[in-house]
Amino acid sequence: MAKTESTLKNMVLTLLVITCVAGASLGFMYELTKGPIAAAKAAKQQAAIKEVVPGFTNNPGDEMYELTSKEGLALKLFPAKKDGELIGVAIETQTNKGFSGNVKVMVGLKPDGTIINYQVLEHKETPGLGTKMADWFKTDKGNQSILGKHPKKNNLTVSKDGGEVDAITAATISSRAFLDAIRVAFDTYTENQSSQPAVTNTSTEEGGAE
Amino acid sequence: MNQWNNFSKGFFKENAVFTLLLGMCPTLGVTSSAIDGLGMGLATTFVLVMSNLVVALIKNFIPDKVRIPSFIVVIATFVTIVEMTMQAYVPALFDSLGLFIPLIVVNCLVLGRAEAFASKNNLGSSVIDGLGMGLGFSMALTMLGSIRELLGSGKLFGTIIYPEDYGMLVFVLAPGAFIALGYLIAFINQVKKEA
Amino acid sequence: MNRLTVSPSPHVHSGDSVKKNMYGVIIALVPALAASLYYFGLGAAIVTITAVVSCVFFEWAIQKYLLKNDSTIMDGSAALTGLLLAFNMPSNLPIWIIIIGSLVAIGIGKMSFGGLGNNPFNPALVGRVFLLISFPVQMTLWPKPIVSQAHYLDAETGATPLSVMKEGLANGETVSTMMSKIPSYTELFFGNSGGSAGEIAAAALLIGLIFMLIRKIITWHIPVAIIGSIAVFTGILHLVNPEVYAGPLFHLLTGGVMLGAIFMATDYVSSPMANKGMIIYGIGIGVITVVIRVFGAYPEGVSFAILIMNGFVPLIDKYVKPKRFGEVVKTAKA
Repeated sequence: MAKTESTLKNMVLTLLVITCVAGASLGFMYELTKGPIAAAKAAKQQAAIKEVVPGFTNNPGDEMYELTSKEGLALKLFPAKKDGELIGVAIETQTNKGFSGNVKVMVGLKPDGTIINYQVLEHKETPGLGTKMADWFKTDKGNQSILGKHPKKNNLTVSKDGGEVDAITAATISSRAFLDAIRVAFDTYTENQSSQPAVTNTSTEEGGAE
Repeated sequence: MNQWNNFSKGFFKENAVFTLLLGMCPTLGVTSSAIDGLGMGLATTFVLVMSNLVVALIKNFIPDKVRIPSFIVVIATFVTIVEMTMQAYVPALFDSLGLFIPLIVVNCLVLGRAEAFASKNNLGSSVIDGLGMGLGFSMALTMLGSIRELLGSGKLFGTIIYPEDYGMLVFVLAPGAFIALGYLIAFINQVKKEA
Repeated sequence: MNRLTVSPSPHVHSGDSVKKNMYGVIIALVPALAASLYYFGLGAAIVTITAVVSCVFFEWAIQKYLLKNDSTIMDGSAALTGLLLAFNMPSNLPIWIIIIGSLVAIGIGKMSFGGLGNNPFNPALVGRVFLLISFPVQMTLWPKPIVSQAHYLDAETGATPLSVMKEGLANGETVSTMMSKIPSYTELFFGNSGGSAGEIAAAALLIGLIFMLIRKIITWHIPVAIIGSIAVFTGILHLVNPEVYAGPLFHLLTGGVMLGAIFMATDYVSSPMANKGMIIYGIGIGVITVVIRVFGAYPEGVSFAILIMNGFVPLIDKYVKPKRFGEVVKTAKA
């Protein structure tokens, strides 16, 4: 077969045909994978919520609402309900005080603010040091664990800053950042509790209908 | 050309990583664990085979002066397909490879094979070449990933071999990639010299 | 000396040899070794012996089984590497980490490049930085001096003055309040502070410097350039804002400045040949050290600074050539 010559008409035509075919096939693939991608993302979110606030029966993803913290960070809140009653809220919180960049954490709070569990979603901390935060603050050893503690009643800062939480060895900055993210979640949640319809009809005494 | 040689050259004689030193960006960037290396290698293999196939098919229709842009569009299309498929069906792997999946487009290995092999050879040889090169690349990435994972975090394919506290963190980080790759290439060269 | 063996004629031998100089450096390190034994006792002895023995062993093993060339363990360079490596580690470091460090220092830092004379980087520092990045927890737990004399692994640990300062400044405290939390300058000068085994006593290291200058093992250029540039740079910062930037004396007496300036940066193989080049190299180390200490994430930056400048040595040597032996001075000025 003879090679197509490099005339302007040929070049324009070939590129046009190639890009059209490429575009069309990508559009087709996009349609095909759109559903599974959304499903995979939802499943990941659902799994994270399930980990931090177990035992809900509703779909927290549907009742998600957003709040802005005092620092101007956008927080996502997922109310977890069991048979219509609020058993906790999963908060996707973040902080920019990490050792390198943002730290994103999903934390589960009981309606009164007690920490149920957490999961680290995203971070760029140093491997082997800051990365330990994924399990460190769950481990019941010394004063490491923050589970079951209440940010109001317990001073949840690292012991170097006068708090009662043991920082990750050699990663104080990452520990501070993590605890800061938890604090942001708690503060924003409690401050907005009275004005949020999703929380008003709960058994907690702090809230109250408008 | 003997098709077996055509296939097997990608593993040793013309291995992309150890001999040609192509595709260094993903080689150094994503091999912090064996499974990441393998995933990256297989994704690249798919793109290599498909782009070699398409380039071999359309090579006669493409005017010489626009062949590189045409090849890149073909490669980018397949990379995007891989990206979307991985996002849909293996989200965990997609998350850990992150930015490096779209970067397959600029992997010299893929364009290099399209330009140097597929545009000059027939369909069958091109597909076999892409497969051999891609699997050779996967092998190299998995080897490097295994070494780094084993030394850095005490695991192999996620299985704990020894406690993580004894791992040498540097191998999980970027400098460890360079050190491990350097010694791996030295070792392969030594083996080649003796063979 | 190494540079004489590669230079062209004349081949008049001055009586210098690799062996003589290496043992000279080792003798110069004796006061510092004594200081570390005094402050850290058993721990320092274990760390030093392990490092020296394993460095010599790895040099012997690699030369015998991998390189298959003549052994150079008797020239003292491997022992020196081990000694310097030991001086860079906390005296309560587990033995297996010390052995890994020695393997990296000799294997990666020296033998991979072809052995003595070919290594672009200081092998002991390669080992130290490798360990610092690989085992950050163990490498940053410093035993407290004196109290830890009779202990090894269970020694009481504390932070170095540098990391106390860095931590405090990051929390918004001022230099003057932080200064009260660290040992006084006199204590720092004689070594009573937390730190790696050999870097704590400035006085002992300075004795070593004087010995090496008298014996003409090294020239004054590199140590003076490093210490001078650190003093000037931190002095300027301190004058700008004394509450945010600690003074020059603090920076000179803490961490690895003395050890680095006197023993690490002056390594023959990895430092420039010409005097002018040595000064450029020294200033580079000083400036990078201060930049890392004051603005970087790590509290200490001497070892990184020396390694970075090691990389520039070929470039410096290319532009600043030493005067050839016997060359006639052309202008009256030079």
